[in-house]
Amino acid sequence: MTLRNVPDNMCPIATEYTTMLTGDWRALRPIVDRDRCVKCATCWLYCPVQCVVEKAAWFDFNYDFCKGCGICAEECPHRAIRMVEEAEG
Amino acid sequence: MGVAFDSIGFKASLCDGCGDCMTACSKAKGGASRISIVPGAKAGTFETAICRQCGDPKCVQVCPSGALDKDNGNGIIGWDASKCVDCLLCTAGCAYGGIAVDETVARVAKCDQCDGDPACVKVCPTGALEFRKAGTIFNEYGGKEDLFVPGLSGCQGCNSELIMRHAMRKIGRNSVLATPPGCIPGMGSVGYNGKTGTKVPVFHPLLTNTASMLSGIRRYYDRIGRKDIVVMALAGDGGTSDCGFHAVSGAAERGEKVLYVCVDNEGYMNTGMQRSGTTPYGSWTSTTPVGEHMKGKTQDAKNLPLIMTAHKCRYVATASTGYMEDLYEKLDRAIEASFEGFSYLHIYSPCPTGWRIPASKVIEACRMSVDSNFNPLWEYTNTRGLRFTHSPDNAYPITEYVKMIGKYRHLSPDQLAHIQAKVDEQVALLKLMAAESPPPQAAHRAPAGSSTPAGAESSQPARREIARN
Repeated sequence: MTLRNVPDNMCPIATEYTTMLTGDWRALRPIVDRDRCVKCATCWLYCPVQCVVEKAAWFDFNYDFCKGCGICAEECPHRAIRMVEEAEG
Repeated sequence: MGVAFDSIGFKASLCDGCGDCMTACSKAKGGASRISIVPGAKAGTFETAICRQCGDPKCVQVCPSGALDKDNGNGIIGWDASKCVDCLLCTAGCAYGGIAVDETVARVAKCDQCDGDPACVKVCPTGALEFRKAGTIFNEYGGKEDLFVPGLSGCQGCNSELIMRHAMRKIGRNSVLATPPGCIPGMGSVGYNGKTGTKVPVFHPLLTNTASMLSGIRRYYDRIGRKDIVVMALAGDGGTSDCGFHAVSGAAERGEKVLYVCVDNEGYMNTGMQRSGTTPYGSWTSTTPVGEHMKGKTQDAKNLPLIMTAHKCRYVATASTGYMEDLYEKLDRAIEASFEGFSYLHIYSPCPTGWRIPASKVIEACRMSVDSNFNPLWEYTNTRGLRFTHSPDNAYPITEYVKMIGKYRHLSPDQLAHIQAKVDEQVALLKLMAAESPPPQAAHRAPAGSSTPAGAESSQPARREIARN
């Protein structure tokens, strides 16, 4: 996108999205037990990054952005999510 | 987009094994209880055995007669009595003990969630059983676009990031967003070097003039006939209650048609956790340190939402991400009211970094802050007065809340007594205000938007019409 009639030195106007991958902050990785997941969407509701993605019979994570806060594992009412160390991955 | 399902959740730490759920279930279903409370691995702990309505149910796989079937509409695994051959294979197939045998009739019995209103959950005295409505919210809003880019640099577990994403998902693209200095622009939503983190027009006013700038934007859009735009702020408590307060107060007094969302993390967390006007008594912050003489903040927090009710705003409400359904309903009403006058939403937002709480415990802290009346949930309109949206009765003692949070670790019994007294005082005042207001049933049952009969009716069609163009 080009902005006409806006001098470069007047004020900065953003024309692109930030592309930060926050997944590389993660020390703990959430792992979903597909048998236990009942698709109640609790993880989606509370995920601050909103990196929970829907699959056919379970919810999974977009690890490019998951910061590993562990809220999903804490809140999952069916204990279907556990946090494992990235090193063990 | 697919579909998610509401689910009965069980919190083992709250269960005292009273068995009221089992009594209620057998009464409601007439026969054996579909839920069982069984002793846990450790003495004095309990677990449930109840159908979880699995995504990939083993009971359905082993059933030879096709009597069990998962309904992909509501997620319930239904049992057809006429097809069942009473082989009981399903009770062996289920690893969770979710299918009971009604011994009086020698047939299986399983949970059907009582058509979305489970009898067991209603009678649970401790709140260990909870009917989670996250599925309903997902089905309604999961397909809506997240209006922030995926990579925002909020801290791990940041509650403000959660609030922003859900709020903008609900509000949608027809909006102009102001984010005064604080964590919200700081995490990259406004961006820099020609890049942005927000997918709607966003700008970065000064800490002091957010509401004034929004007033101007709203007036401009009104002049060019764009009445469908939500003109809104996502501001911190500093930009609302301290530095920006005169602008907020002035805009509210003039009745500017603005939605002002205050994300209250009780301090200037973005700049290094300094105290603000809404930092509670006793809190550790970097400017109210804990040492030999000083023991955290020595003044009480100002109750900003209550101050806003004194401005006779169209809508004032407090909300918390611990109660998401409530938050979504309030966003609905706040958006509607922002086309009529000043609409103010105060959302409590625990800060894992600044409050010294583990990132994973943030939502639990949100819930406990409401359950202990530290942050009571209520809403106010200029015509109907105040009503609680979460009962302030049977609250937990404040110690249950403060023990979860590191910034209160040093509190002495005297300080705790002071906080409890202030919390009780605040709830008593809110109860007085609620008692003076029209009956809560009337306020609750009225259809959306009827609080401003003439205005709401006229604004709604205009908004839709413009949106189509």
